[in-house]
Amino acid sequence: MRRWGKLLAMLLIAAWSLGPIALIAASSIKPARDIFAVPARWVFTPTLAHYAALFAKWPDFLAGLWNSTLVAAGATVLAVAASTVSGYAHSRFRSSAMDGAALLLILVRLIPPIVCTLPLFPIVNALGLADTHWVLIVLYATFFVSLGTYVMRAFIDQVPRELDEAASVDGAGRWAILFRIVAPVAAPGMLAVAVFVLVYAWNEYLFAFIFTARHAKTAPLVLAEMVGAFDGVDWGVLFAASTVQLLPVLGFVLLMQRHLVAGLAAGATKG
Amino acid sequence: MRESSFTRALMAAPAQALVLACIVLPSVWLLWLSLQDATFGRATAFVGLANYARVLGDPYFWRAMGNTAIIVLVVVHVELVLGLAMALLFAAGLPMRRVMLAVVLAPYAVSEVSAVVIWRFLFDADVGPLGQAIPGLGDWAVDPAAGLGMVCLLSVWLHLPFTFMILYAARLALPGELYEAARIDGATPWQAFRRVTLPLLVPPILVAMLFRLVFAFRLFSEVWLLTGGGPARTTEVVGVYLYLEAFRYDAFGVASATGWIMVVGSFLLASPYLWRLYRQQGRDA
Repeated sequence: MRRWGKLLAMLLIAAWSLGPIALIAASSIKPARDIFAVPARWVFTPTLAHYAALFAKWPDFLAGLWNSTLVAAGATVLAVAASTVSGYAHSRFRSSAMDGAALLLILVRLIPPIVCTLPLFPIVNALGLADTHWVLIVLYATFFVSLGTYVMRAFIDQVPRELDEAASVDGAGRWAILFRIVAPVAAPGMLAVAVFVLVYAWNEYLFAFIFTARHAKTAPLVLAEMVGAFDGVDWGVLFAASTVQLLPVLGFVLLMQRHLVAGLAAGATKG
Repeated sequence: MRESSFTRALMAAPAQALVLACIVLPSVWLLWLSLQDATFGRATAFVGLANYARVLGDPYFWRAMGNTAIIVLVVVHVELVLGLAMALLFAAGLPMRRVMLAVVLAPYAVSEVSAVVIWRFLFDADVGPLGQAIPGLGDWAVDPAAGLGMVCLLSVWLHLPFTFMILYAARLALPGELYEAARIDGATPWQAFRRVTLPLLVPPILVAMLFRLVFAFRLFSEVWLLTGGGPARTTEVVGVYLYLEAFRYDAFGVASATGWIMVVGSFLLASPYLWRLYRQQGRDA
């Protein structure tokens, strides 16, 4: 009886969290007439017609995927680098200035990103950074550097200080200690931060919507344009685009599941 | 160990520089702009609190505030109940636990836009499998209550993995000996939950709740992409109100004031957490 209850709960959970994703991915390779069958049809002749239509009708989408890739990679590198260095500083150095800096990193997380778009909009325009990859890279990194610092601090706290001290006796400076000794040991933390930033930067909509228009337009933005297309929604093409946007990052998250969970446990509720 | 205080400052600097340049200084400047009759970042005349008065006197703002409150309260509480139930189910031992963990985590990887595509289709009145099957569900585009319901559903689906993970991690951190002891004392599973698990999980539940309150309060994309605030501005939330004032109605001063109202609101929501932080710092010193 308990066994059946658990099985039922597992089925419900799977239907709830995986069902919608599976339906969209399956529908992207269904012939048009099978997409709208109710109840949903799971046996059909697969076709790549929607994908062909997607890349023929929406050249912007391919460009968007490329922009998303650049922005996500740039933001991840910047955020992981800044978080590792400052996570080390917050783990090893104690002073009232460091306490203040740590508190500031918590307080900024309370400021909604949409509020920052207002003052940043004229600044970004004045600097000629509107519609560039740079503005998104810097903003995405900024909005995760605080969580990233706390995650890295938690991971680096686990690395014994004796390692630092031994290296110091051998004549290594702080930077050498961080890069050669601590960073390799704390690599799982860096992976956790990388997962957070990459998923966020790949999927983010608001900043991309406000700060990019043509050249740096990311994939979610093009996808949103397709949803809003006024000549009626072409569901097949939309499913193909969603699937392309979604599957790489889904695969990545599942691959990195362990690091994601460790990172959340280490820093998500402490910072 | 010897190093200059310059090295110490330099190591903390990159993160501080990013948040100062992109969050703190812009926010301070925004406070200044909110007291001006401003258009797109250029202050024209000092108007004191007039922008705040205009926002607080605008019925659309209060509608947006009401909608935000409804969504935030529904989403956060549903997430906590479902997240806790799932965390306990997982902790009680589940066949194929790792696979199931991956399944639960899946929506975390989905963008707001893709989620909107998925749920719009499911609930589409003409073609959606659910929208057609259950009468009334397909009305979300014209009926404000159904529209808000869709936003709630979408938000819960997207953010449940996060809430679940926090609660699950907290549950796993509870020492197993406690349950051993409870079992030896003859406690039923319900008693073990009521007397052992729940009291010990209250602090992490509260932290998860505060975080989700603060993050749900700023919601924009889900509403913007799903209903655009319509029909007739009935499903607007504060984030959408701010966006429209700034970028559609060119009322930069009003939008700035709305922005600072959002900042203050976030700090108020987080105040219990900040208070605890403040007390901890006092103890450490």
